[in-house]
Amino acid sequence: MAPRSLLDVDDLSPEELVGVLDRAVAFRDALPSRDLLAGVPVLNLFFEASTRTATSFSLAEQRVGADIISFAPGASSLGKGETIADTALTLRGIGVRVIVVRHQESGFARRLADSFDGHVINAGDGTHAHPTQALLDLMTLRQEFGRFDGLRLAIVGDILHSRVARSNIVGMRALGGPATLLPDAFAAEGVRVERDLDAVLPGLDAVMMLRIQRERISGGLLPVLDDYTQRYQLNRARLRSLRNDAIILHPGPYNRGVELTDDVLDDPRSRYVAQVHNGVFVRMAVLDLLVNGAAIPA
Amino acid sequence: MRTLVRGGRLIDPAQGIDAQRDVLIENGFVVAIGEHLDASHARVVDATNAIVAPGFIDMHVHLREPGQTHKETIATGTAAAVAGGFAAVACMPNTEPALDSAAIVSEVVRRAEIAGLARVYPIGAITKARAGIELAPYHLLADAGCVAFSDDGATPRNTRILRNAARYASDLPHVFISHCEDADLKGDAVMNEGGPSMRLGLDGAPGLAEDVIVARDLLVAGDTQKAWHIAHVSTATSLDLIRWSRARGVPVTCEVTPHHVVFLDDRFDDYRADSKVSPPLRAAADREALRRAVYDGTIDVFATDHAPHGLDEKAQLLSAAPVGFSGLEIALGGYALAFPDLPPAQFIAMLSTNPARILGVPGGTLAVGSCGDVTVFADRAWTVDARLFRSKGKNTPFDGMTLPRRAVATIVEGAVVFEHGRVLPRDEVPA
Repeated sequence: MAPRSLLDVDDLSPEELVGVLDRAVAFRDALPSRDLLAGVPVLNLFFEASTRTATSFSLAEQRVGADIISFAPGASSLGKGETIADTALTLRGIGVRVIVVRHQESGFARRLADSFDGHVINAGDGTHAHPTQALLDLMTLRQEFGRFDGLRLAIVGDILHSRVARSNIVGMRALGGPATLLPDAFAAEGVRVERDLDAVLPGLDAVMMLRIQRERISGGLLPVLDDYTQRYQLNRARLRSLRNDAIILHPGPYNRGVELTDDVLDDPRSRYVAQVHNGVFVRMAVLDLLVNGAAIPA
Repeated sequence: MRTLVRGGRLIDPAQGIDAQRDVLIENGFVVAIGEHLDASHARVVDATNAIVAPGFIDMHVHLREPGQTHKETIATGTAAAVAGGFAAVACMPNTEPALDSAAIVSEVVRRAEIAGLARVYPIGAITKARAGIELAPYHLLADAGCVAFSDDGATPRNTRILRNAARYASDLPHVFISHCEDADLKGDAVMNEGGPSMRLGLDGAPGLAEDVIVARDLLVAGDTQKAWHIAHVSTATSLDLIRWSRARGVPVTCEVTPHHVVFLDDRFDDYRADSKVSPPLRAAADREALRRAVYDGTIDVFATDHAPHGLDEKAQLLSAAPVGFSGLEIALGGYALAFPDLPPAQFIAMLSTNPARILGVPGGTLAVGSCGDVTVFADRAWTVDARLFRSKGKNTPFDGMTLPRRAVATIVEGAVVFEHGRVLPRDEVPA
């Protein structure tokens, strides 16, 4: 059997998903010994700039004792026309056993995993998937509510271009955003497509605000920002209609004044810090699961 | 030189013949059709348990020569053609340089003669370098051997240029062929826009990108009364637009490809480019509309859009990999798979009689006096192994599939150029 990879959340069975969250909680409560991945060469391959995900993976890898390699892919052979398969063969030959990869093109992690005889962890591929982000969101939600059943979560913003949204759609039920950025095709994926944020806000347990990139305006997908913020920005007025026991998630980075205002970040319902904190433990748990197998610590 | 095709079921839609008949060809022309014709001094092709048809004509192939001979050459492309049962192909002008001058077209014709396999009919560019700015020299191109005009994948954005082109070429019978895709609506799409593209996070081209250009080109055809042919139709709306135009007397024909009538846009889960093609594979509703349009006669022609590329090129990331794949050697089987109950006479008309009429080229019938191009085919199942293609393009979404029909023999101007699974250049044929 080929070594396991994590390309999207659905590479984990529901039991394994719960197992990863349990393991992450265990690691957060008490750091494991540093020999879980002792001597396992892990390559961090970030073709696209990343602050929080790259840092979080590096720390997670250190805490399980992996041998960490990082290099600048801009200067790599892939840029010189070498095929993905040849690069994968070379990296395995060198001894790399785990590749944590981020790339600007959807499907890159899958293409790499298909030719790499080792574990691939998708740290974000184009607009497709970002499974460890979804896992840390799930961990944060479970920590807050103790359950997933019946939770009402809205993902608001540029769903079309969001790998975070796609990975979170597993297990989540409501989406909101403008028609050019929230295509109706998502309804086929078992989510409710909603255009009126104010109508759904009071009933939510959690709201996830996605970053709006200003390039979407020049691309003809959005008019002036005011037109967007007037309908979809989370701000002081909308915070009032959010329940007191609801929480606010954001995968970062923020665009203050666009998808949310400063009031939101100061709001006690905001869970941004808990999310990034949980991210390290989720990534430790994923590394442990893929390399060491399914045994779950007692 | 005498060639006798013996013992087969002759189906010639142009003459309304469907019967056991031998076909005798002398000096490149059909000289007799009948039962138990005299075989003395003739090269005999055994067509027992097979169907004998006028030579198939693929009016949409890419031979890549000049300029991209790592993908295909005229020799390898025409070998693929005859192995697939095609006696003739019309080649698109998106070579490097484009087929926009008499000199280059003459060179293509010369190299096709040297290859000695299928007939090659060049399709000239509509604009110089297919850049959509200056008109190509239609009369010079026609004199050099062009049978139609097209800018292929780069349809002129400027409708004034396209209209002027159609008006200038109006004194030529040569059909204009449109590859209909709006570049802006298509954007950086690598597949069809729909549920699968949304789920996979891939850029998709909406059917609208095709429909708007089909509508525009049909309106220009109506305005100029230029004979027009819509290449590789892939959407239900395009078909409706074609029906609407015909009802208003616009001289329009159209073709389909094997891949659009067999496959859907659900083939990208592995993020490989094996099924990346323009226009893209569509959703089920469009495919069903295409199938119905074949049965009801809206679609005139079975083409292939044979678009060979190197395996290394197709192995690139989806965004970088080129569009298209080999089609010549799977076409008969692919169409038989999609249309198991299509009457053989209609199957043959769409592969021979209709393309011959649209392009104004010889063939399309085996009436006495017509050219001695014959395709012999049979309903014998076979499994596609792209590595064995004569084409340099070893890539097809049909790879590994079992198809129900294949070519048995291909005859061009009386010369047997494919038989018993072997391609036989004319010089090797015993006199």
